Amino acid sequence: MSSVGADGLFGIGLAHGYRALDGVSDEMVDGSGALRPHWRRLLDLLGELGSEELDARFEQLDGSLRSAGASFRVYDASGSGERSWPVSRLPLLIDAQEWRGIEAGVIQRARLQEALLQDVYGPQTLVAEGALPAALVAGSPEFLRPLTKVRPRGGKYLRLYAADLSRGPDGRWWVMADRAQAPSGAGYALENRLASSAAFAEAFGAIGVERLAGFFQSFRESLAQLTQPGGVGVCMLSPGPMNETYVEQAFLARYLGYLLVEGEDLTVRDENVYVRTVAGLRRADALVRRLDADFADPLELNAHSRIGVAGLARVVRAGNVALANALGAGFSECRALLGFLPNLAQRLLGEDLILPNVATWWCGQARERTHVIDNLHNLAIAPSFAPASSTASDVRLGAELTARERERLIEALGRRGMDFVGQEIVSLSTMPVWREGRLTPRPFQIRVFAAATEDGWTIMPGGFCRASAAPDARAISMQQGGVSADVWIMGEARGPAQSLLPAAADVEVRRHVGALTSRAADNLFWLGRYLERAEAAIRLVRAGHARAQFQDRSERATAQLISDLLAERGAINDDKPLLTRKIAMAALTSTRLMGSAAGVVGAARRSASRLRERLSVDVVSAIEELAEALNAASRLKAGPLERAERAVRVLSALSGLIGENMAQLTGWRFLEIGRRIERALNILDSVEVLGLDDASPASLAALLELGDSSITYAQRYFVAHARRPIVDLLVLDDTNPRSCAFQIRKLHELVLQLPGEGADETATNAGRLAERLSARAIAREAGDVDRSLIANLREDLYTLSDVIAERYLSNRDRLAFSFRADE
Amino acid sequence: MIFDLRVMTISTYEGDVPFARHVLRLRPVDKPGQRVLDFSIDVEPASASLSEGVDFFGNADTSVAVSETHQRFIARVRARVEVRATSIPGVTPSWEDVARSALESRDLSPDAPAHFLYPSRMVGVPDVIRTYAEESFPPGRAILEAALDFNARLRADIAYDTEATDVSTLPEDAFRLRRGVCQDYAHIMISGLRAMGLPAAYVSGFIRTLPPPGQPRREGADSMHAWVSVWLGDAYGWLGLDPTNALIVGEEHVVVATGRDYADVAPLDGVIVSAGAQRAVEIAVDLAPAQTAAP
Repeated sequence: MSSVGADGLFGIGLAHGYRALDGVSDEMVDGSGALRPHWRRLLDLLGELGSEELDARFEQLDGSLRSAGASFRVYDASGSGERSWPVSRLPLLIDAQEWRGIEAGVIQRARLQEALLQDVYGPQTLVAEGALPAALVAGSPEFLRPLTKVRPRGGKYLRLYAADLSRGPDGRWWVMADRAQAPSGAGYALENRLASSAAFAEAFGAIGVERLAGFFQSFRESLAQLTQPGGVGVCMLSPGPMNETYVEQAFLARYLGYLLVEGEDLTVRDENVYVRTVAGLRRADALVRRLDADFADPLELNAHSRIGVAGLARVVRAGNVALANALGAGFSECRALLGFLPNLAQRLLGEDLILPNVATWWCGQARERTHVIDNLHNLAIAPSFAPASSTASDVRLGAELTARERERLIEALGRRGMDFVGQEIVSLSTMPVWREGRLTPRPFQIRVFAAATEDGWTIMPGGFCRASAAPDARAISMQQGGVSADVWIMGEARGPAQSLLPAAADVEVRRHVGALTSRAADNLFWLGRYLERAEAAIRLVRAGHARAQFQDRSERATAQLISDLLAERGAINDDKPLLTRKIAMAALTSTRLMGSAAGVVGAARRSASRLRERLSVDVVSAIEELAEALNAASRLKAGPLERAERAVRVLSALSGLIGENMAQLTGWRFLEIGRRIERALNILDSVEVLGLDDASPASLAALLELGDSSITYAQRYFVAHARRPIVDLLVLDDTNPRSCAFQIRKLHELVLQLPGEGADETATNAGRLAERLSARAIAREAGDVDRSLIANLREDLYTLSDVIAERYLSNRDRLAFSFRADE
Repeated sequence: MIFDLRVMTISTYEGDVPFARHVLRLRPVDKPGQRVLDFSIDVEPASASLSEGVDFFGNADTSVAVSETHQRFIARVRARVEVRATSIPGVTPSWEDVARSALESRDLSPDAPAHFLYPSRMVGVPDVIRTYAEESFPPGRAILEAALDFNARLRADIAYDTEATDVSTLPEDAFRLRRGVCQDYAHIMISGLRAMGLPAAYVSGFIRTLPPPGQPRREGADSMHAWVSVWLGDAYGWLGLDPTNALIVGEEHVVVATGRDYADVAPLDGVIVSAGAQRAVEIAVDLAPAQTAAP
């Protein structure tokens, strides 16, 4: 087979030297090695940009997803959670006519799976008539018994269905796996599209690539019909930030305008599902389910699930909530089913499958078992009931078994054949992927999505394409570690441009139909507290380190007091050492000290990672930059003072973003309340240690510096550092934005704007407390500031924090445990 | 035989619980050979709302929602149940034939063998138990003979020990220890039967507190008990075997619920809305032959 030659045009030069793998068909070049016409068109169009511009576009493409990656990173301990499929430089091209065939085949399959689920959870005639073995149905862990004979709200099991397709050596498209549980990837497809349509705008327009927005529009419209007025609308139910596709869930929720919720945000009362919001319980009528069904209800499904909703199955049975997809839809993914679908298509639809699937033999049947044993060397052996999409570790090639493994397998097939399927080994075609500076053929799959509409199905014209990292073209070798690509369907006619995304990509907080979950508010509150706590720690380190270097006794005594404060916060150890360079570095960067600046920023990052659908890229990037300044392992060669300076600068930028750029909705108020409470507490701590009794002038100067009020002081008072005016400025002067009184005044205003506060005369505890705080702090004389006032203010601030947490932020279902027999 | 049953469970919590939702599986089931003559359940706090339901396997469950702030939850059950002795089949098919007909069955009804063929949440088919079970299943042996042999070996080889295992112990771990309680005996037996390709179910219930005259005291009295139901083929259906006591289930046992393993029939599941944890849950049981006429 020959390779593509250089023919002068730069675009085609991209493909120079490209050569298909031996015996494997390729998307870009045909059997003779020549470019296929539609690919030639794309390469020509890219070539028109010229080589310099094209390089710039490639960089733009890489960069746009990197920045999306930066804002969407998961902050778990293992450091995983990076976008698992970075985008390839070229989209996959599919011509319109070929696409019509795929479209028809995937729609047929969606209809087939829906009809199958209707029967299996309904009359079960397929089993009674012997078309589907009872033992196959019963063996699937996704056959959910509590949901049998239950008609899902709206009547449909599948709302979003996807099929993983590959092109076989014969040029036909094959279905490798069905996705019905909670198909992922539609959001990645969208992200890839945003990036590639921007980077290659000219080619995208000239080719007339079909748009994706209409598909999502239809999906939204069909779900909207399941909701009723008075609730929160459609929510997206996520397994939480530790899930590998959480990034995508947050992105999709934001794109579709759905409230992103986790199990603990929901509670079942009176046969309905409610969202816990800061304004109380709000009914949810429809949930886009990204949580595997088994985890959805600890009362009736997996009792160990900590991420589900107790009683959800009950509400489903009552018909009061629609799940997309329905609980139990995961049965469609069962690998053993693949062997029955061609026959079931005839039986349920009266049609032959348009797209064939991988030939599969279920070894729960005697004849099939014999066939598999006889042909072991040509087959792959896989577990019957794992989803067909699961790969690698649990699939084995008959030809690669040792004699002993083979013998054991045959024994196991004899005892419990129903646990195994034999499958034909399929090889995949390849597409061009950019590797090490050139295009290289790599095996790929595409996931094609279908959404249920009122009277049928609609297909996303495009999809989520994944290409393998390795050249092994056998389907079972597909695994993580490759790249993804946008899928361009070459349009016949152009639809009107539609996009659901707001024009400015960095909208700070979307108005999530007015609902703020208690969990999101809790994370915002703690993000505010941690950011402020980090700032205090950094300022303390800076002040303490500078003074530790002086010989002056009074300065050193002040440095010691600052060490006391830092030890109290857990930023240095209990011996309260002076802040030498080494100790100061540790107080800033140690990840082992919970109270170090890096420790506190780490906590802020964790809170932020749970708010990804609510925070802008700017805010998240700033938090990342802050973490980088405090990262001991970073390449930054800087001492403690430079690091502290840099961190304080980022914090002040962040403060600006929060104050000026964030919409001042309820969520913002919780962030602000957190910041104000923490700042007030920090001021009180410093004043108590550095500003009471017979504080030295050195100590008072440090106090002013920590309170960022040196300049204000110098402008107002011409005297040297005197205790009373300094304490007045930091504690009681409510015109000084760094004073305790100022924080308290702001807190009072903020609390009165919370849901249920201030609207009528029956002030709640939070309102009354904020009022009491104001009364305590305002109209005092500087001479009144003593230990007892500080203790009272601190006590009130703690109580206010608790009361707000109790009323708005906490409360969740916890699992009770049971007893066992014989005890 | 007519029994009077009394059960009380008490859950206590560390702090105030403003809302709780429970599922109780404590009501004896009506089935061939067992009739519930009388049943009542009451709970504390008394303001809780109760609703009766039936799960997929035909077990009665009571859903409880408590909306009153409380620190403990109590459920009391009183029942009068009539139990008849089971008839024991004479000639049964070979265990291989039973395994084959279970796979070929076209039945998905609640007591269909297909549901009980596979690994379930708490019971897998580990090699260590399969190898042990195989001794009772030489080729061609009649299913009942093989199952009774397995039942008796478990009683002989495993020591009854309430300290060695807990509610979440896996059967292979209890088997390695050769110790456990009825839940462990039942799980090990189910694991062995399924490893041979045979359907086996987990049954929770009660065994009479005092044994029949002249018989030793049974293990598992005074509390919830558990045993195994084994499928003998289409002609004979299910038969209860109690490996903890090496008995065929008969007039001494009251069936509450049947499932694939303990996880399907846990007597008390629940969630509480609380800042604190659950502290303890206790149960007291009395099952005695009725002394008086039906109340």
